[in-house]
Amino acid sequence: MGILKSWRHPAGWAIFRLDDRLFLIFVAAIVGICSGIAAVVLNRSLVAIFEWIGQFRHYWWSFVLPAIGAALSSLFLEKIVKEGAGHGVPEVIYSVSRYGGLLRLRSSFSRLISSCLTIGSGGSAGPEAPVVMSGASIGSNIAKFFSLNDRQRVTLVGCGAAGAISSIFNAPIAGMVFAIEVIIGEWKAINIVPIAIASVAGTEVSRMLQGNRIAFSHRQFNIDLIDIFACLGLAVVAAAASILLTRTLRFMSGISSRFSSPLWLRAAAGGCVVGIIGIFLPIVLGEGYHPVKTMIEGNFSQGLAIVALAALAKIVATSMTLGWGGSGGIFAPCLVIGSLTGLAYHRGLVLLWPSVSWVNEGCFALLGMAGLVSGILQAPLTGIFLIVEITGGYNVILPLIVVSSISTSLCHYVEPASFYLKDLVEHGQLLRPGTDARVLADLSVFELLEKDCITVKQNMLLRDFINIVKNSHRNYFPVEDEKTGYFLGMIHLDDIRPYLFNSGMYDVVFLGQIMNTEVEVVNPDDELSEILRKMDANHLFSMPVVSNNKFAGMISKATLLDQYRKELMVQTCD
Amino acid sequence: MEARLFHIFRNTPLGRETLLQSIYFCKKIKASPVIYIPKFTKFLMYFDNDVAQIDLDDSYLTLPDTALRHATELVEQAELKPSFIKPKHYTASTLPDIPTNFDFMCCPRSISDMSSKIGLGYIGPRVRRIVKSAGFPVLIAGPIYKKWRSIAVFFGGSANALNALKLGIRISRESGIPLEVFTQLEKKSEKHYKKIVKDENLEEEIERHVNKWHFFEKGRFEDNLYEVPHDALVILGAYGHGIIRDILFGSKMEKLQSTISNNLLIVGPKYAANT
Repeated sequence: MGILKSWRHPAGWAIFRLDDRLFLIFVAAIVGICSGIAAVVLNRSLVAIFEWIGQFRHYWWSFVLPAIGAALSSLFLEKIVKEGAGHGVPEVIYSVSRYGGLLRLRSSFSRLISSCLTIGSGGSAGPEAPVVMSGASIGSNIAKFFSLNDRQRVTLVGCGAAGAISSIFNAPIAGMVFAIEVIIGEWKAINIVPIAIASVAGTEVSRMLQGNRIAFSHRQFNIDLIDIFACLGLAVVAAAASILLTRTLRFMSGISSRFSSPLWLRAAAGGCVVGIIGIFLPIVLGEGYHPVKTMIEGNFSQGLAIVALAALAKIVATSMTLGWGGSGGIFAPCLVIGSLTGLAYHRGLVLLWPSVSWVNEGCFALLGMAGLVSGILQAPLTGIFLIVEITGGYNVILPLIVVSSISTSLCHYVEPASFYLKDLVEHGQLLRPGTDARVLADLSVFELLEKDCITVKQNMLLRDFINIVKNSHRNYFPVEDEKTGYFLGMIHLDDIRPYLFNSGMYDVVFLGQIMNTEVEVVNPDDELSEILRKMDANHLFSMPVVSNNKFAGMISKATLLDQYRKELMVQTCD
Repeated sequence: MEARLFHIFRNTPLGRETLLQSIYFCKKIKASPVIYIPKFTKFLMYFDNDVAQIDLDDSYLTLPDTALRHATELVEQAELKPSFIKPKHYTASTLPDIPTNFDFMCCPRSISDMSSKIGLGYIGPRVRRIVKSAGFPVLIAGPIYKKWRSIAVFFGGSANALNALKLGIRISRESGIPLEVFTQLEKKSEKHYKKIVKDENLEEEIERHVNKWHFFEKGRFEDNLYEVPHDALVILGAYGHGIIRDILFGSKMEKLQSTISNNLLIVGPKYAANT
């Protein structure tokens, strides 16, 4: 039994007692390995299903295959594991923001299976976001197993996401940057070191099981200054494509929610549309990595019109898949749409200025991918490092930085929140560490309750009240009903001032006559941000807290500020 | 501040019985019921180191138009002020988060299992998860509303059992209902259990509030349960001996709930009791 207890609490081992960061690094490696394995399993399963289903693609009825996959995926999520549709990344960020990274164990496998069904059958989505959800859940549950605190748990959630992205793309830096930039949103050594270790572990697992391959290898590009200038235009086009994809996804999701039919039926309808598009433009089916490879190698033979049409079709297919209830992420579709956008842009340039010697079109495809990823995630570093690592193309770093930065800025200007964060921002749920919203969210009314108030009854005479005032250091006095104990109102010292110098009134005036009944009160469940808003709007420095009609205490700005500082120090210390 | 009991309302005759039980509990300990009328069949409860997804069956969504009225009527009949909880945060669009800062929570024996809606049933995995993770005791109401005329605390000497005893004393003091303590002697003497109580400085409280301390020397635990009054609120600690012992020998909570139909108030390992 002693051994079991010690195993559950390894933080107590002599080696880790030296520095708890060592322990976190140790657990981060475990999380990285587990999430790396999850990513490899998903990758292999997807390839197997896609290949198996490929033998049916030449039949006329093959357009229903994505519909069947999406319906099964939706049924699996809804009926078996009882989770909502979608890719899950906002759920991970929400959990990190509000609940110290607590995630359900079932999330560690649910999205893997559902995305396998959706993407394997031809749905237009990517496996990266589901694997991020899975890795994050693995990290969270390992933290739970070891009884780690909130801060350590959040780091391990980041480790899971980093391990998963590193493994699926064989891209350790991109995994690390994604976890910090998108999931945790806090660049601190306490997070960076374990996440880096998890990225290495995840990548190593992938290399051991699948070999050390670069996903989209290509030839060397000779980039001139004119190409870099041309990138400015590409950044604008990529940003436009990002915004179009974001808005189409939301539009389709909005349309789908208007139907009262079961989600699996809607998912099937969406899948059916994707299947029909796929008959004419097979590039929209599945994750679409093969055509991306062809484009980067410069071997994509279709003309400008087809390329542009394919980009639009991929946007529609992705929106129909994910917006209508299928399961998967937008990373892979972004890569496909981005490369098509880059290619179309290059062909447009060649058409307009045929005499200029532009760099190979593969380079623009690659830059388009970076523009789309950066634009839609509004995470420029993730876009840059991901493309550098998955293409092995460090020689394109300068235009890559230009495209990613401009695309992110333009998208941020039009859509202030990224695709992952839009819903969270709209509902006020994005609480990054050290921000005002986060500090307030981590405090509760109960922590700030001042209970040293003297309550008085409405039938009390002014004389008795003055005696109470003499022994109190407060200016406010809550008034309660004599029989029920219900809160009736407040008396401020200012309320008795008119009678104070007229002793004849002392035995005539009852508190019930002079109390203020129009008092703004606070409910114990109210959010502190809302309470502060009320205080500011009414120029109040303190408010009574009333629970179930009974006075529970006072809440004041002074106490709030005091606790705010303490909480801020906790959140921002290294 | 007044203690609050969280209740998930089911707008069915069975749900009415459970709510009546919660209301009675609140009246006795001067707590206020906080009622949740679900709009979805699942919700999340985020505890300190765990998140539990509660999957309800469809009966919890029965007749939503009358649910609020029915629940309000029942609470007002008991001269309590109805208070309803409306989720403020959602993990996903159909997955609300329910706060966990309550003092008690009422659960049917199994939240998610249809077969155990009537009868003794079994304590479902979700309820067990809540008991393990929550900082509040869980009231597992019997199938039919029944007033309790005594309080029975099962005391086995563990830390959770001590918390259960402290809670029993508190409820007895607040409600004025007599308290009895039951102990199955397991290769230990009465002195051993009395020493535990003495070490916790509970002797005086026991003297004042406990009517009788029953020690079962012989017989199986399940058989001795016949001594427990049918109209007693049974309070016990759960998960006090560790998972290995529970797996090998079975948990007392499971044995108890499958043998008697009394209302159970279960104290989990995260509950910090004070008398």
